[in-house]
Amino acid sequence: MSTARFDELIHAPTRLAIVSLLAAAQWADFKYIRDELGLSDSALSKQLSALEAAGYVEIRKGFVGKRPRTSASLSRAGRQAFEQHVAALQQIIARSRQDGHATSAAEADRGSPGL
Amino acid sequence: MGDMQQPSSAGTGASGAEAAAALAEIQRRQEQVIKAVLVPVWFWWVLAAGIVAIGAARDTGDLTVEAITIPLAALVMAVLTGAMIPELRRRVKVHSASSGGRAAAAIIGMIVVIDGVILGTAGILAAAHLRYPGTIGCAAGAAVIVIAGPLVNRYMHRLMLSQARPQMSDPPEAGGSTL
Repeated sequence: MSTARFDELIHAPTRLAIVSLLAAAQWADFKYIRDELGLSDSALSKQLSALEAAGYVEIRKGFVGKRPRTSASLSRAGRQAFEQHVAALQQIIARSRQDGHATSAAEADRGSPGL
Repeated sequence: MGDMQQPSSAGTGASGAEAAAALAEIQRRQEQVIKAVLVPVWFWWVLAAGIVAIGAARDTGDLTVEAITIPLAALVMAVLTGAMIPELRRRVKVHSASSGGRAAAAIIGMIVVIDGVILGTAGILAAAHLRYPGTIGCAAGAAVIVIAGPLVNRYMHRLMLSQARPQMSDPPEAGGSTL
């Protein structure tokens, strides 16, 4: 079970998409991530570098035959941060619902004609 | 709508609506990965066509037709499977927790059922001296493939999804927040 911790680095839309893809995978090919997210090479490199600098992503460069291949995977720290971020999002939703119920109840009390 | 008044959680700047949108995005991306590692529906149809071709060739009794059609159909199916599976694995590998013995059991079970249907149907028809036992038996097996193939895909999709997102269904731990 993860504790909730909102992570601003992960929450940015493009990085959230990258981390979500990687969270379901053991690793993903650079081109696969680029194509699935509709990013340019440079945009994806930039985001992966930011995640790598934070210790969330591991980049591996190798060869398949003679072709160079770059793949990315979530590190243990990245997976933990992602799970904590998901827990934080769930907590925000739960609190938001509670606040919504409380507001509705208060409005109902105020609006009651008191027959 | 109520989303307009949803408060931001302290320290995050994210409202309930934003958090819900982020969770939906996470789920969508995870489904995207899982769909990428499943074979497309047309793959099952090509396999089914290959099997019917083998059965029909067998029933012609013409050695030339058999010598050409059976190896050709087998080659097409083998090349397709051999090319498809590594291609899927080249792009992305689903987390090991997601690929369990249940997925393998589903595939093996389907193969056993297909073989059983083909051999059983063809055997019964041949024993009854009916015409085209190979074609009809293989057509029955092919029907199982085009029906069971997508069902196995769906089962594996559900299995992988449920294992890829255990954190999505668990409520957050009380008191552990750093929000």
